[in-house]
This record gives sequence, structure tokens and C-alpha cells, in this order.
Amino acid sequence: MLKITDVHKAFGDNEVLKGVSIEVEKGDVVAVLGPSGSGKTTLLRSINFLERADKGRLQFDDIDVDLKNASKADIKKIRKKTAFVFQNYNLFANKTALQNVTEGLIIGRKVPKAEAAERAKKALDKVGLSERYDYYPGQLSGGQQQRVGIARAIAVNPDIILFDEPTSALDPELIGEVLNVMKELAKEGTTMIVVTHEMQFAQDVTNKVIFMDGGKVVEEGTPKDIFTHPKEERTKQFLRRVIPNYDYSI
Amino acid sequence: MFYIDIFFKHVWNILPYLKTTFLVAAITFLVSVLLGGLIASGMLGKNKPGQMLAKAYVNLMRCVPPIVLLFIVYYGAPYLVSSLFHKDINGLDAIYFAIISLSLLHGASFAEMMRGAYLAVGKGQEEAALSIGLTKWQAFYRIIFPQAFVVALPILGNSIIGLLKDGALAYSIGVVDITGRAQYLISMNLGGYVLETYLALALIYWILSSITQKAFGALERRLQKG
Ligand SMILES: Nc1ncnc2c1ncn2[C@@H]1O[C@H](COP(=O)(O)OP(=O)(O)OP(=O)(O)O)[C@@H](O)[C@H]1O
Ligand SMILES: [Mg+2]
Repeated sequence: MLKITDVHKAFGDNEVLKGVSIEVEKGDVVAVLGPSGSGKTTLLRSINFLERADKGRLQFDDIDVDLKNASKADIKKIRKKTAFVFQNYNLFANKTALQNVTEGLIIGRKVPKAEAAERAKKALDKVGLSERYDYYPGQLSGGQQQRVGIARAIAVNPDIILFDEPTSALDPELIGEVLNVMKELAKEGTTMIVVTHEMQFAQDVTNKVIFMDGGKVVEEGTPKDIFTHPKEERTKQFLRRVIPNYDYSI
Repeated sequence: MFYIDIFFKHVWNILPYLKTTFLVAAITFLVSVLLGGLIASGMLGKNKPGQMLAKAYVNLMRCVPPIVLLFIVYYGAPYLVSSLFHKDINGLDAIYFAIISLSLLHGASFAEMMRGAYLAVGKGQEEAALSIGLTKWQAFYRIIFPQAFVVALPILGNSIIGLLKDGALAYSIGVVDITGRAQYLISMNLGGYVLETYLALALIYWILSSITQKAFGALERRLQKG
């Protein structure tokens, strides 16, 4: 469904992506793991052109574009098929929870207002926020804000949702509510790429794990492959560092 | 000896000329918003020469005293226009020159205000808007501008007060606004009742500023949400 090939991106002299390729099938839940600075966010942002890659090819169903030279029309098409959930939520501060969700429908996709409100409410109900339609982001907890962020993403019916560390800005006690919503989405067959440091989630919920380091994909496979039989030394080191008692658990 | 009756008489005498003060302030405001928007987009844009030009302009305006700029425009603009377009604009009403110089000046400070407000909103808001399918322009007027406006409000209130007060300089090239009228009253009295006249003028400026301040305070409270 989505295939990106040989993506390169540098910020000045800092080469952040050095030829990354990944492939996602419909219904896949892909976890992207890796140490800080390995280029995970940059990769995700390159997919929907929040960052313009220096090189690379993107195939998305019948779309086939060069990441560097994609036209405005191509970018628009790809953004229509994707949605993004941000680490810092990035909810529209001047809009209520409901308006945050309807915005992409009414303005981005020209859905009639009444229908948009209907769909937005459904999305908010799904993430457990049926009591919070008219709250502004500033009146919501971090976990609630991120759930609005997820509702905003699912409401536009994207083919794939890109999550960039959706729980890392949250207090520990709020992480669970967001992960539960994501588990629910996974169960329903939503295609997602999730950059995360939540190892338990990556292990239990995803069907594919990609480990990145230094701007490259070091290793990829099923969660079982990666977590219990990692082939690469760098993967093992990483897992030892992020999972307490890793050596005992395998 | 302070003549309170003269003071009130002069307040009354000056008031009709508020019309001119308002006209200068209103047009200057509009032009400053347009010019400021243009310069701010230059400063924020990706185009390097555009950035440098915009920054240089703002710096230049910060360094010129308003009254000096006013005289430069008043004497310089006709010269410039006649050498460029061979047209004589010496006879043009002084009010035009006042508006041009005040706009050049306040356009620069409006640009700074707009730039600061835009940056305060943060890149993430635009990115979120793009990610759900808005265009850059839609992201700007639906998401960024409304937030930047709230951020800028307190400064905007002060800028408008500053703009009203700077308008007082226009009398020096012959614009008869409230300050010009006060000057006229003084010369009519052969230099008498100076204190009464200037205090009357100060009272009017004080009331104008207070009203502006109160209005912006109220607007701020209304728009403060979330
Ligand atoms: N806009 C930018 N300008 C300059 N450098 C950038 C920019 N964005 C990212 N970088 C650099 O690119 C590198 C990779 O960043 P990226 O955010 O993709 O890493 P990451 O894997 O997501 O890390 P983390 O786990 O900390 O989120 C870092 O060295 C970062 O400093
Ligand atoms: Mg990141």
C-alpha cells in the first residue's frame, strides 16, 4: 500500500536519513524504534511532506512520486490519504475539541457542516471524549488533548495514520488511556506507523517492528523477531538499554 | 494665574478638530497594517534578499526620530516625485505627507509586532493544519491569524495610542488637527493662555488614550479563551 524507497535528508551538514526504505501493507501496525536522533521523526514527517526529503521515492496505492520534486497536487493527494498525530498534540488552541476535529472535514475535505459535526462527534466518542466537545485544548489534560489529536486524525478517514511518539509528552498515569485508544484502532484494522518508546505496546500491538539507528534501518521484522531474536548487535544494545532486565525476559 | 474658564473654552474649541486627528490616525493605521504585513512576510519568508531588505527597513525606521522623518518626507517627496515623474506635488495638502511619514514609521513597528505574534503561535499549529488537508493560506487565516491577533492585542493597543500621539507632530508641517488647532489658538491670543491651551490639549489626548486602552482591554478579555 505504502512504500518509500531510499529516503535521504540532511539538515545542513547533518545527514539525518541515509537511505531509508520501508513498506507498509494495508492493516499493518508498524512500530519504529530507535535511539534519540536516529531520524524517526524526520522519516515520518517526510512521508506527508512536513519535511522535504533530499531524495527518495514514495509509492502510495496508485501514486508514485519523487519525494524531492513532488508537485503541490501530489502533496495534496498524499496528505488526503494520511493523518498525523504529533508528540505535542498540536491541537488548534483557538478551537474547541469538536472544532479541532471538524476543521479537517469542513475546510480540508469540503464535507458539509452537519455531516462533519456528526462524524467529529463519533470520532470524539470513540476516543472517550463525548463529555468534552466544547472544551478548548487549554482546558483538557494532556491525555485528553492527545485523544482529541487522535480523533482529529481518524475523522478524516485516512488510509494510514502516522504517530510520532504520541505518549512521550504525557505524565505516566495518562499514557495508558492514549495507548488503549491506539490498541482499539489497531484491532479495527487501522493502518498505522507508530514511532514510540513504549516497548510493551510495540511488542503486543504491532505486527512489524523497524529498528532505526544513525539514519538507517538496522533491522526489521515481526515483534517476536526483533524482541526475542534480534540479529544485529546494535538492536540488542538498544533493547538492553530500554527494557529493564531485558536479558532475563528473553 | 490659571483661567479655568479659558481652559474649558479651549477644550471646546479644539474638539471639532478631532476629525482631522482621527482621519490621520485611521488612514495611517490602515496603511501601516498593509505595509507592516508586507514587511513581516518579508522578514519571515524564505527569500534571503527579501529578509535583508525588510530587516534593514525596520532598523532604519527605529533610528529616525519621527519629526525628522516627517520633514524628510515633506521636503523630499516632492523632490523625488518631480525628478522621477516630472510632476509637481508641492501644492498637495500637508495631511498626505503626514500620513505617508507616519505610515512609513509605524509600518515598521507593526511589522515587528506581527512577526513576534506569528512566531509566538508556533510552527506546530501550521503543521497540524497542513496535515489535515488545509492549504497554507487556510492554515494562516483560520488557525494562525486568530491566535496571533490575540497575542498581538496588548501591543496593538499601545501602537494605536502611539500612532495617535505621533500624529501631534503633523502640525509642524501645517496640518490642523487638534494640536494644530491648539497652536492656532495660542497665536490668536498672541502667546497668551499657553498653559490653559496645552492642558486642554493634553486632556483630550488623555481621554483618547484611555478610551483606546479600555477598549483593547475589553477586547482582550473577550478573546481570551481556552
Ligand atoms: N528542523 C531541523 N533543523 C535542523 N536539524 C534538525 C531538524 N529536525 C531534526 N533535526 C536533527 O535531525 C536529527 C534527527 O532528528 P529526529 O527528530 O528525526 O530524531 P528522532 O529519531 O525522532 O529522535 P527522538 O527520539 O529524540 O525524537 C537530530 O540530530 C536533530 O537535531
Ligand atoms: Mg522524534
